Amino acid sequence: MSVAHIELVELDEASGGLWSEAWRRLRRNPGAIVGFGFVALFVFVGIFAPLISPHSPLDQNLALIAKGCCPGPSVHHLFGIDDLGRDEFSRVLYGARSSLIIGVVAVAVALSAGLVIGGVAGYVGGIIDSALMRMMDVMLAIPGLLFAIGIVAMLGPSLLHIMIAIGVTNIPIFARLLRGSILAQRENDFVLAARSVGVPRHSILVSHILPNAISPVIVQGTLALATAIIDVAGLSFLGLGDPNPARPEWGQMLTNSNAYLQNAPFLAIIPGLAIVVSALGFNLIGDALREALDPKLRGRD
Amino acid sequence: MSKFLRVSFVLAIAALVTVAAALGAVGHKAASDTLVFGAASDPVIIDGPLVSDGESLRVIDQIFEGLVGLKPGTTVIVPKLAVSWSASKSGLAWTFKLRQNVKFQDGTPFNGQAVCANFDRWYSFPGPLQTDAVTYYWNTVFGGFKHPAQGSPGPDKSLYKGCKVVGKYSARIILSRRSSSFLGALALTNFGMASPTALKKYQADAGTVDSDGVFHPTGTFGTKNPIGTGPYMLKSWKVGDKLEIDANPTYWGPKAKLKRIIFRAIPDNAARLQALQTGEIQGYDLVAPQDIATVKNSSKLKTLDRPAFNVGYVGMNQSIPPMNNILVRQAVAYGLDRKSVVDSFYAGRGQVADQFLPPLVVGFAKKGVPQYTYNPAKSIALLKQAGLTPPVKIDFWYPTSVSRPYMPDPSRNFQAFSASLSKAGFEVVPHSAPWRPDYLGATQSGKAQVFLLGWTGDFGDPANFLNVHFGAKSDLFGFDNPKLFALLTQADSETDIEKRTALYQQASIDVMKFLPVVPYVHSKPALAFQKNVRGYVPSPVSLESFATVSYSN
Amino acid sequence: MLRFIVRRLLLLVPILIGLSILIFLWIRALPGSPAQALLGERATPAAIVQIRHQYGLDKPLYVQYLRYVDTTVHGNFGTSIVSRRPVTTELRERFPATVELSVAAMLFAIMFGIPLGFLAAKRYGTVFDHASLVGSLIGVSTPIFFLALILKYVFAVRLGWLPSIGRQDVLLDTPHPTNFYVLDGIVTGHWVAAWDAVKHLILPALALGSIPLAIIARITRAAALDVQNEDYVRTARAKGLPPHTVDSRHIFRNAMLPVSTIIGLQTGLLLSGAVLTETVFALPGIGSWLANAIFNRDYPVIQGGILFTALVFVTVNLLVDISYGIINPRIRLS
Repeated sequence: MSVAHIELVELDEASGGLWSEAWRRLRRNPGAIVGFGFVALFVFVGIFAPLISPHSPLDQNLALIAKGCCPGPSVHHLFGIDDLGRDEFSRVLYGARSSLIIGVVAVAVALSAGLVIGGVAGYVGGIIDSALMRMMDVMLAIPGLLFAIGIVAMLGPSLLHIMIAIGVTNIPIFARLLRGSILAQRENDFVLAARSVGVPRHSILVSHILPNAISPVIVQGTLALATAIIDVAGLSFLGLGDPNPARPEWGQMLTNSNAYLQNAPFLAIIPGLAIVVSALGFNLIGDALREALDPKLRGRD
Repeated sequence: MSKFLRVSFVLAIAALVTVAAALGAVGHKAASDTLVFGAASDPVIIDGPLVSDGESLRVIDQIFEGLVGLKPGTTVIVPKLAVSWSASKSGLAWTFKLRQNVKFQDGTPFNGQAVCANFDRWYSFPGPLQTDAVTYYWNTVFGGFKHPAQGSPGPDKSLYKGCKVVGKYSARIILSRRSSSFLGALALTNFGMASPTALKKYQADAGTVDSDGVFHPTGTFGTKNPIGTGPYMLKSWKVGDKLEIDANPTYWGPKAKLKRIIFRAIPDNAARLQALQTGEIQGYDLVAPQDIATVKNSSKLKTLDRPAFNVGYVGMNQSIPPMNNILVRQAVAYGLDRKSVVDSFYAGRGQVADQFLPPLVVGFAKKGVPQYTYNPAKSIALLKQAGLTPPVKIDFWYPTSVSRPYMPDPSRNFQAFSASLSKAGFEVVPHSAPWRPDYLGATQSGKAQVFLLGWTGDFGDPANFLNVHFGAKSDLFGFDNPKLFALLTQADSETDIEKRTALYQQASIDVMKFLPVVPYVHSKPALAFQKNVRGYVPSPVSLESFATVSYSN
Repeated sequence: MLRFIVRRLLLLVPILIGLSILIFLWIRALPGSPAQALLGERATPAAIVQIRHQYGLDKPLYVQYLRYVDTTVHGNFGTSIVSRRPVTTELRERFPATVELSVAAMLFAIMFGIPLGFLAAKRYGTVFDHASLVGSLIGVSTPIFFLALILKYVFAVRLGWLPSIGRQDVLLDTPHPTNFYVLDGIVTGHWVAAWDAVKHLILPALALGSIPLAIIARITRAAALDVQNEDYVRTARAKGLPPHTVDSRHIFRNAMLPVSTIIGLQTGLLLSGAVLTETVFALPGIGSWLANAIFNRDYPVIQGGILFTALVFVTVNLLVDISYGIINPRIRLS
């Protein structure tokens, strides 16, 4: 092990210290704890929905709504019955599953494409950087929701296309963030040190710059999970939701129940609150992470 | 606290106070001589022959009148601007005796010349106006233009041959062949009489064609100066905001009871109901079934019914196997729980359809129609008989972002149907798309195997239902049935009403045996009004006049 | 400064070219035809072919693109297929509605967001701080249309305090020289009309402003916290300057830097939100207009409208960047 390498390890340990300190601070942040609670609940429900649902989310019982839509909460149906005589409680539980998948896939799309574009732009620089960033400017100039509508209209409505659309609209945010972060890291001491001892460029990028530049991206990723869930609901509201209306999905449930706001307000309010709570969970975590990872705020507690 | 904070808080509180003050001050007191009606959208243009959408026609109905009209609330043809008419023996020359002393809203007298000027205008529309997208009804009824553009039908295809002024208050229309639906079609709002002076002055059909052949209309007839003979005339129109019509003081018949009608566009159905509840509007059309109870339970609101003049159906495309197999189509018919859907989702305003024609239309078959009552076991048996192993996979399409009289909530119908089909040996793969244009594009280009669709009649004629759908080969249904095509052609050209009825009854039965579609509902659309609004007469074809509407106290 | 502005303006060119190509190609990739959008159940294959021909969609791509650029450069966005009116006319009528809504929403967000964030920073770690933080997070976590529907149902339908739809009471017959209804009322001296237009703006602005409010509050708080610990603030305090002088001169001014950027970035978000808000409150703005244009395949509206909104977005951000320089001359604008 060369001297330079030892130095680098020490410098990187400083960043490891960043993470452990962040973790320490996260644990003391009540917002973060509540956020983790919400998200844990959300993920748990999403994964174990089949085990905890009292009914199947797909079983219709039109006899239940023979007297009008829709009977409210009761012992058998905690959240009442929806407009096709299905158990709303079970549908809300299963809906967590859809939202979880949508959020994760959409963010994965945005994150992976954003990382590649931002990484290349930030590290290579020059004309490629300018070209890529102008492309990102073009994408940012179109209002996000319209952009997403456009993509879904082009590809045709399907859950996958909806996730792709939401993901694509988020690419520029990640790309810009990572690029900015890399530019800042590039001039850092340990990078300059590594370069001076002849460590190859790509290995500097992968093993030194990226890990340090990634923390704002993680924060943004958490926040993007929240917006993805909300954006999907917005698309549903405009008629571009999941093409299988029987599949429980919160945005779709909220949209469909708009018509029943007067007769059965719980049908709208319950999925609406589910969206708010899960998005709030991610936002709380993202917010707490941001504070925990922000070096400027260090040592203030 | 810093100065800045103080200032901004003062501002914020001032805003709150403003809001609070505003709250007390709201009260919707409608003037008693004005009615505000909630429309689903703005009209496209206020010029009958150039539109085919309901919101345009609603306004045009108030401003323009045709030679013949419909008795309010029915599809019975009655005199309007023509007081009587007669056809020559050959059925090719129709002479209309016109009402005398009628003036257009700009003072131009209504006479034989005005009638011929209108027919000539329609027949001579310039190329860019010849597409179905603009002149759908002229194309459908008369089917040809004097100077056809490339791809448009010419004089050889036209039912209309010419118009002759015979005496001051008489006009004769010459047809190229016998037609049983000509007179009924003349009652369409699209064929209202417009002032020839205004058509010329405001350049109704003028426009520039750029080098790409794109037509840019330049006239103001249909936007600012639509002049007809009707009981109301246009006062102002601001797109997206409101359209106002005022009573015509020189109207030839009974004058309009209200001074002004305002149409305002409210695209969302729930928003229209809410606006009615708040008193921001006094009436609206196409009340959602789930809102009927809300309206009925309110002490201030009421509903009005339109007679059922539509059909909702599950279509099957026979070019996509196994739909070409009649046994499979029968299995679908037995596998659709139509009664549950109609009972659950139409708020008591739907009747289960056992055939394509609504009961109101001539040709409705009272007996001999094969029945397909929900029977999953039979459906599975039929599939096996067809040599298939259940579950049979089918691609089932439904539209989003739309509410039609025959299908107020497509997604709900779809979900109930797919549940009942899964019990009957099918495996449903769901597909959806926004109604316009994706969904219609997919179905009409033959991409959809099984799909939800429907039809609302334009006028009281079975041809408008059966011939339109099953009279020729189409990508939509993907079948070729020369026997059925021949029967329908024969029925349409038959002018003897009894023979015609019998032929259409036969066709109704044959359609249900052949099963290109499974009709499931004829529904009664509803309008909602404030309780004190009187005199609105719903019509099966939505040809409704506001002239008889008033408030009662 | 001038060099910076010129440079930024030059940067607009590639963005606009890229955007025009993107929109152009995207429209051609859309399935379906405007004929189907217009005719619904009544569309025929012949009508679809005719419409394609009429709008030059059967010509080679590069010819179509050159035509599009040529007409657009001359300020001609063409004629809407659906409404048959010039796109520029519709823009003139609808753009003010969206601007009015966005400005109202932004005013609401700034008026409450900045004081809230500032106070939270001053009371860092207190219950007020946590409450405002959580409140603002709930704000960002709520779908706009959900909030809009609830607000409308409660305040318009149930309580009847505010109107539920539109921009102005339809029974009012007042002139609209500018199409900014509040301004129109003031300019023409129709105070009742102006007041009525304000009332129609309240609920939509609350719904649309909720997310910017939350974001502005958080950014203000974070920025104020940052600045509070800077050396020059400590120095100012140590010098014995009165607290409100330190607050307004040192902390506030410097904290406003990131806030002003965020306000600029919110323009794009506001337009997205406007699509939903305008739909719920039946407002004739450009958000819902553009969304419908996409659904209806109204090609000229999509081409013209999106290009226009993008231009607005880019311009607003340019203005924000310039104001950034004015607020803090220390920042090198390069």
